[in-house]
Amino acid sequence: MDEFEEILQDFLIESFELIEQLDQDLVELESRPDDLDLLNRIFRVAHTIKGASSFLNFDVLTHLTHHMENLLNMARHGDLTIDADVMDVILESIDLMKVLLVRIRDRGVDSGLEVTHCVERLDAVANGTPLSAVAEAPAPAPEPEVAASAVQEDEEADYSGMSEAEVEAEIERLIAVRQAEDAAKRAHKAPPATPMAEEEEPDYSGMSEEEVEAEIERLIAVRQAEDAAKRAQKSVEPEAPKAPPAPVAVTPVAAPKVEVVAPKVAPTPRKVEPKEDGESRGGAAVEQTIRVDVKRLDHLMNLIGELVLGKNRLIKINDDVEERYEGEAFLEELNQVVSIVSLVTTDLQIAVMKTRMLPIGKVFNKFPRMIRDLSRELNKKIELEITGEETELDKSIVEEIGDPLVHIIRNSCDHGIETPDVRLVSGKEEGGTIHLKAYHEGNHIVIQIIDDGKGLDADMLKSKSIEKGIITEKEADGMTEKEAFGLIFRPGFSTAAQVTSVSGRGVGMDVVKTNIEKLNGMIDIDSEVGKGTSMKLKIPLTLAIIQALLVGVQEEYYAIPLASVLETVRISKDEIYTVESRSVMRLRDEVLSLVHIGDIFEVERVFDNSEHAYVVVLGLAESKIGLIVDSLVGQEEIVIKSLGEYLKGIEGIAGATIRGDGGVTLIVDVAALMQMAKSVKSTVGQESAESKGRLGVKNKASDYTVMIVDDSKTDRTIMRKALEPMGITLVEAIDGVEALNVLKQGEYMFDAMLVDIEMPRMDGYTLAAEIKKYNKYKNLPLIAVTSRTGKADRMRGVESGMIEYITKPYSPEYLMNVVKRNIKFNEGL
Amino acid sequence: MSEKLQQIINKQQKSLSGDDIKIDEVIQLVGFIVGDEEFSVPILSIQEIIKPISWTRVPQTPAYILGVFNLRGSVIPLIDLRSRFGLEMIKHTEETRFIVMKNGDDVAGFVIDRLTEAIRLPKRDVGPAPDTIAEAESMIDGVGKQSDRIITILKVHKLLERNF
Repeated sequence: MDEFEEILQDFLIESFELIEQLDQDLVELESRPDDLDLLNRIFRVAHTIKGASSFLNFDVLTHLTHHMENLLNMARHGDLTIDADVMDVILESIDLMKVLLVRIRDRGVDSGLEVTHCVERLDAVANGTPLSAVAEAPAPAPEPEVAASAVQEDEEADYSGMSEAEVEAEIERLIAVRQAEDAAKRAHKAPPATPMAEEEEPDYSGMSEEEVEAEIERLIAVRQAEDAAKRAQKSVEPEAPKAPPAPVAVTPVAAPKVEVVAPKVAPTPRKVEPKEDGESRGGAAVEQTIRVDVKRLDHLMNLIGELVLGKNRLIKINDDVEERYEGEAFLEELNQVVSIVSLVTTDLQIAVMKTRMLPIGKVFNKFPRMIRDLSRELNKKIELEITGEETELDKSIVEEIGDPLVHIIRNSCDHGIETPDVRLVSGKEEGGTIHLKAYHEGNHIVIQIIDDGKGLDADMLKSKSIEKGIITEKEADGMTEKEAFGLIFRPGFSTAAQVTSVSGRGVGMDVVKTNIEKLNGMIDIDSEVGKGTSMKLKIPLTLAIIQALLVGVQEEYYAIPLASVLETVRISKDEIYTVESRSVMRLRDEVLSLVHIGDIFEVERVFDNSEHAYVVVLGLAESKIGLIVDSLVGQEEIVIKSLGEYLKGIEGIAGATIRGDGGVTLIVDVAALMQMAKSVKSTVGQESAESKGRLGVKNKASDYTVMIVDDSKTDRTIMRKALEPMGITLVEAIDGVEALNVLKQGEYMFDAMLVDIEMPRMDGYTLAAEIKKYNKYKNLPLIAVTSRTGKADRMRGVESGMIEYITKPYSPEYLMNVVKRNIKFNEGL
Repeated sequence: MSEKLQQIINKQQKSLSGDDIKIDEVIQLVGFIVGDEEFSVPILSIQEIIKPISWTRVPQTPAYILGVFNLRGSVIPLIDLRSRFGLEMIKHTEETRFIVMKNGDDVAGFVIDRLTEAIRLPKRDVGPAPDTIAEAESMIDGVGKQSDRIITILKVHKLLERNF
């Protein structure tokens, strides 16, 4: 049973691969019905699937594909002209075939689906329509039917019950039958350039009856010799079915089964796979590709990730060492090694990334068919032009990008392209064009969907959105044209007057935005009324290792995916305006809403920001936001690691990465951050208010707060006693460290500090210097209270930022006066 | 000869499996102090015990989640057990340790005040958790009795369960 499973798996993989190409071929075929290559290719798919499915006992599928093959064979031989109606039937049958294959994949059986109707239609088209063609060449048409069904009957025989010798005999017999058929067929329709004919190239038409007979004899002899050789080779070397002179299109994995499969599959490829024949005759018979489990590639990618982290760390250590041992000889060598390691790591990373790359054509291939169906359904004439289908990107992204593209293209067909009469009236060509384009741009792939339809009308979008309650009128007024275009991505938005099967439910474009955001991609819409719409999706090439901008806020660092960073600007605080309690700034001709990273991630604001701030302009899908940070650290290549089961799903955090110093840095989830920014209350403007509060209104004496820092309990008590009569709030700390902690906690807003100089752990000078590092406390009056009276001590006090110097002993009144003066005490309270 | 060998092998296996049964009756725990109490977890649920290293705060999490730290390339959550048990957080001392516990694929580091010792406890000396604690919610698996002390055995899977 296992062997069967294995064959089944191969069958399914092969079939789905074949079908992928099929849709595109079929649509092409409609425009070029005479293309024999194309026809042969399509025929081959039906035939291959038929052969394999009959072997695997999928009777329904065999039945269907048999009739398809029949019809296609007629077309292939010019007995049937392919027009739109015939095409519809063919497409229908192919859809059915897909459904059957999916069913087999999911449930292992192909029963339970009605194919009779489709088969009937296939037959009707095959027999009924092109009678004239049949009349011209009456013989060949029914023949394949007979031959094929004969083969089919033969296949019914129970091979498993046969002895080795019997199987051999059966194979011989089948080959003989098939050869006779082939010969007969060739005799009848020699002139059409069947692949076999191409091989030999003699001009049959010029031959006499006898000569043809002789040629047939010769060919049979050649064929038999080949077959014999093949069989001999197979029995000796069953693993190498690709080697024989006339190649057999049996996948290597199926090799062990070849003895049995041969009678059914082996003869067919020779007839229907001219391309492979050609290639192998050219000597390139060896398979150049290898199928690898994606899991292995993922594992490899993980290992590379670790390596990149190691490399980053090595570079950092190298920098440190360079600083410390400047000029030493061994540095040169170390430098070389580090640069080689980092170079190789980068190359390795690119190489592994490439193994995961798939051409985007894999996704694009299904669109010609889709457009065809849609244009028939909507009664429009739509052409699809595809360029750049060979552009490659990561497998995981290829998988994700399909759905959004389907929605966008549907949308273009339904809303974008007008009906032919409307187009003619507006002076356009009758048929609309949708251009699907893919190309690389730096570390991104850009997919562009351009239609020449009616374009987006910003005003109409706005009024529709207001009508549906998606935005308010006020919001609409403040919207730029681009922002209005972005409305089509809002959930629940639809401009279609009525709901059709194609669109109008207002779901699709919303999905587009979510999916593109998930990939860290951006959407850019350009549109002109009457001219058309262009939608640009910009998506990073890979997801596992990304370039990131590292930013600092207070003492924390965060990594922002560079793909979402549009630019960074340094602004002064005055440039931040508050509009309806939201912070905004003017960036060239745009108004950018701002949010502080500290507000998003609940960072405690210990240091006050300086006069300047850095704004990282983030763009995602079609929206933009400015993120205020304290510092920009730089750009770094980071490996995305998950936070694990315990911490997953933290809003605003996409994961973590390990930095060169071994520390963990969190990666910002830009999409979530933009969502959070909407609800976060801005505090950007409030800082100044807070600092004003410190200097500003004091309503009663206890609003004044003074900290006493002294290691001696007695000294603290003396000071307290001296100041208590004023009624101000007093806070005590026993040394510099504690004082600093009290400040950091921010529980009190101090108006002045009395600082002893001689203290354990941290003395007064150091404390003063530390405090002055905080912008917030730059103007906090520090009063030294000490028994050190030397001039040098005073000088040091001033240098470290003390503004008054009180020497012990002192009178309580003196102390009180100094304090009063420094905190600008209002005697009236 | 081979028969003899077989006999010896059989004998060895017998004695080995016999040992197993004996071991089964004893549970091995690692004891540690959080606050004033001694707790323990099964030794097999411990991946490793390390000295405190630096960690990175993760926003939007409860206070007892200190953040994440880097354990040889893996990003692992760090949970403060004092705070998890409703005690006040204290500064890390020389004796503070991170115990990295795992349960299946779930891994997390826990901050404890200090380690005590590895404990071998006969199964019969382990009693159930006090009735006053709701069974499902409880982080306590049982209570081990040793001559002069009582050791609370914690449910590792409960500790590693996200509850926010």
